[in-house]
Amino acid sequence: MRISRQTLLLLSMLFCIYTQIAGQEQNNQLPEKYVESVQRSTHTNNWAVLVDASRFWFNYRHVANVLSIYRSVKRLGIPDSQIILMLADDMACNARNPRPGQVYNNAKQHINVYGDDVEVDYRGYEVTVENFVRLLTGRTQNGTARSKKLLTDAGSNVLIYLTGHGGDGFLKFQDSEEITSQELADAVEQMWEKKRYNELFFMVDTCQAASLYEKFTSPNVLAVASSLVGEDSLSHHVDQSIGVYMIDRYTYYALEFLERVQPNSKKSMGEFLQVCPKRVCISTVGVRKDLYRRDPNKVPITDFFGSIRPTQISTGRINITLEDEEDFINAAIAAEEEAAQRSTFKVEFPSQFPTELFK
Amino acid sequence: MELKIKIICFIALLVSPIGAVKEFSEFHEELYIRPTSSGHVNTFFQFTTRWHYGDRENLHNTQLIPRPIAETLLLYDVKELHIGLTQGLWRYETFGYPVVDSAPGAEVRAWFAAENLTSADVDDQWTKLASTFSGILCASLNFIDKTNSVEPKYSFRPTFATGSKVNVPQFVRYATLPREIVCTENLTPWKKLLPCNSKQSFASLLNSGYVHNTNYHSLGMKMRTICESHNTNCILEFTETANMVYDPKLLGANGDFSLRRLFGQGLNGHCALAKSSKIYVNLDDQSYDLTPLPMYNTTSKRGGSTSTFGVYDIQRLDGDKLFNIAWIKSKNNKPSILLTPPPPLYAHRYILGHGQERGQIVTQITNKHYHALPIVFQENIPWFVPSYMHTLKLIVQPSNGVEYQIQPRVMHYIPGVQRVRPYHLELLFEIPAMSTVQISFDFDYIFLKWLEYPPDANHGHYLGSAIITTQLPIGRNYTAIPIDKHLFVDSFNATRSSYFLEIRTESLILSLPTPDFSMPYNVICLACTVVALAFGPIHSVATKRIVIEQKDGQPQSLKGKVLQKLFRRKQNNAGNSTKEVEQHEKLLFGQAAADISIRKN
Repeated sequence: MRISRQTLLLLSMLFCIYTQIAGQEQNNQLPEKYVESVQRSTHTNNWAVLVDASRFWFNYRHVANVLSIYRSVKRLGIPDSQIILMLADDMACNARNPRPGQVYNNAKQHINVYGDDVEVDYRGYEVTVENFVRLLTGRTQNGTARSKKLLTDAGSNVLIYLTGHGGDGFLKFQDSEEITSQELADAVEQMWEKKRYNELFFMVDTCQAASLYEKFTSPNVLAVASSLVGEDSLSHHVDQSIGVYMIDRYTYYALEFLERVQPNSKKSMGEFLQVCPKRVCISTVGVRKDLYRRDPNKVPITDFFGSIRPTQISTGRINITLEDEEDFINAAIAAEEEAAQRSTFKVEFPSQFPTELFK
Repeated sequence: MELKIKIICFIALLVSPIGAVKEFSEFHEELYIRPTSSGHVNTFFQFTTRWHYGDRENLHNTQLIPRPIAETLLLYDVKELHIGLTQGLWRYETFGYPVVDSAPGAEVRAWFAAENLTSADVDDQWTKLASTFSGILCASLNFIDKTNSVEPKYSFRPTFATGSKVNVPQFVRYATLPREIVCTENLTPWKKLLPCNSKQSFASLLNSGYVHNTNYHSLGMKMRTICESHNTNCILEFTETANMVYDPKLLGANGDFSLRRLFGQGLNGHCALAKSSKIYVNLDDQSYDLTPLPMYNTTSKRGGSTSTFGVYDIQRLDGDKLFNIAWIKSKNNKPSILLTPPPPLYAHRYILGHGQERGQIVTQITNKHYHALPIVFQENIPWFVPSYMHTLKLIVQPSNGVEYQIQPRVMHYIPGVQRVRPYHLELLFEIPAMSTVQISFDFDYIFLKWLEYPPDANHGHYLGSAIITTQLPIGRNYTAIPIDKHLFVDSFNATRSSYFLEIRTESLILSLPTPDFSMPYNVICLACTVVALAFGPIHSVATKRIVIEQKDGQPQSLKGKVLQKLFRRKQNNAGNSTKEVEQHEKLLFGQAAADISIRKN
């Protein structure tokens, strides 16, 4: 009886302390409005930079990796003009490919990730560290085509996806050079200083991938890596008909997840970060959230993988009829009649062969 | 609902003037199919847009012509542009001559003309133009620069017309990238330049899976301007071509084939913007029965040869069904071999020699015609292949007779400079009837600088194909479109006094000697080992304590020394005959007779 009274006392005391602490916690929290405004997305456009850094047929899986992400971002609404796709080698039309023009994510040929509508911006020998850093920092050479530029601004959410062969602190490009994590961090810092992104999602599938985001210091960067430092990233399975590995584990499960995402879906980045648990990935997926101010669990996945923009529908009427509509049409017809008279003229073409030199 | 109506009204308003102006830009789609003598099927698509744009400022408002093409004319002084993206080899002996010839890999050729234009301006515009189209066509054309471009003097003549009475300076530039691959990423943007996009009409037949499994496929783009007077009252012609050679045996079904089997699907109608949409089927090979039969047949007599074509006018078809044409081997015909004589002129090219020091490039041009033919031969050798023109030899090998050497009538040679410009050679000579001319010259294999090797250096380096141009007196196997016309149908009955022909040789692959790329790594490893080996003893000498053992009664004779060495271990173990003394390091050098042993401290 005595013991039970003592316990009761103790319990009541504990309860008092608990309520006090809980109350304090509530007082310490940020105002709800502020939290919401931080949580709200402020981006106006979406870009994606997808890089396969390895060459040669036995690296088929890296091309399949990058094309998986390409397929997903394109399906979710980022237009080709805002996707920079870098492929260091051609797998689809490779002489070793028994299915020309097709790259699959699976030996059972579930998804042709290459598709029938693909635009590769940098390919073959163009995929170099220099071009990649120039692209990110916007320091492309004079005369570079528009589709080869990352024309982002302070409102852009940028997705950077890298895959290839990596080690502690570097990623190999084409087996001949490598980008270090410091160079990568400097490029991102320069992007931030030049107001070239609003938020950046850095995703990398390579061995020791986590080492690549370690040096980042720039704000608003969320990073995910397929393996921690000291770990290898592993491939998923081999296709006997082509004799090489098809795809890497991390990207395979990422694609599986992204295939279930629709442009209007409520799936969050938080869910995406847990896409490959250790029992399927074998490597441990690394996540870096300290530079990111939003809670990934409340960020829609389409903030990075799609291109959903807030739209305002106006029901008001706008008068766009031309004032001098008839004059406009008559002038066009007159101009064209005049042009018709000028459109037939005689032209003399030069001889196509230097016959005079054979006489 | 109200809003919707409003939008429709707005569109109608905008369309009406455009619809009227449409008369001055016309679009034609054509497909030409011909079974070749080798049993292959040659299919050729041509999409032609011709726009009478008049004055230069009208280029800002494009209709059927894609905007980037019109803007190119505004930005650069380019008047004529040819781009070819080709995979595979065109076999002239069995396929005949293509409508548009193209070199393996990527090939770009452009003419620039403007008042006060200088060669330096053109060099600048040329690289920028290539870079622009690199973005438009997703090809690595941005690798084109001064180091791989040449300025042919005799091979190419302009097919554009400035209409200017004054002599406007004209410049031509030509470059090839033989390594360039062609895949869906090139086909996609190429299709997007068409007015009806890729899902409708003839373009819907170009499905990536069925384009890239062919023996030969080539995407082409040609643009030229024709002006009445200088830069005013102009016409812009923009032609996109796709040429594929299929092997029906690989498609199964006993050599029979159909549109659906070749392209993966039937034809889903025509482009609503097209003025004409026609399929031309060559009927010279009579071992096939066609279903359905052509709507009408037409005969083309050109340069002494006659061909029959069946025509399908897709605009006259009705119904939503996919249109298909099937070629079925005739049952009553005996299996016959089509006796098509080989084309009058063809060429091959090889690298001769062994080892990695000296080699020889040999081109063989064969004339099967019974008259001599005038030839312009052009070589564009990269700067990393130093060629020796004093070894240039032209040897005629008549089909019956003794071979003899000839001299070229004209030789235009610009020696290459390493890392600056390529070697450019143009030769004009006459090739005698029924004979082969062998053009050969020597070259050296050289080492490149460390960083100039591509990541796959052991794959080898490519040499672009040589171009051979001639003027044929006969039109056998000849299907090119005459210079003053723009449609494929214009090649019917287009008899001229001579036929300008352009053919290309194979591109070559050259295994340049490669350095040992792991050498720096080896040097680092070796240097580290040496340093480690040197550092180890110095470190131990500097940090370890020296213990000197001095023994009593050192024997002086050799026998005694040997015996002592042998038995020392035992004595040491016993530990009673030696006396250990610790001394300072400097003492070590004074004790000549001392037996020294070192211990870890």
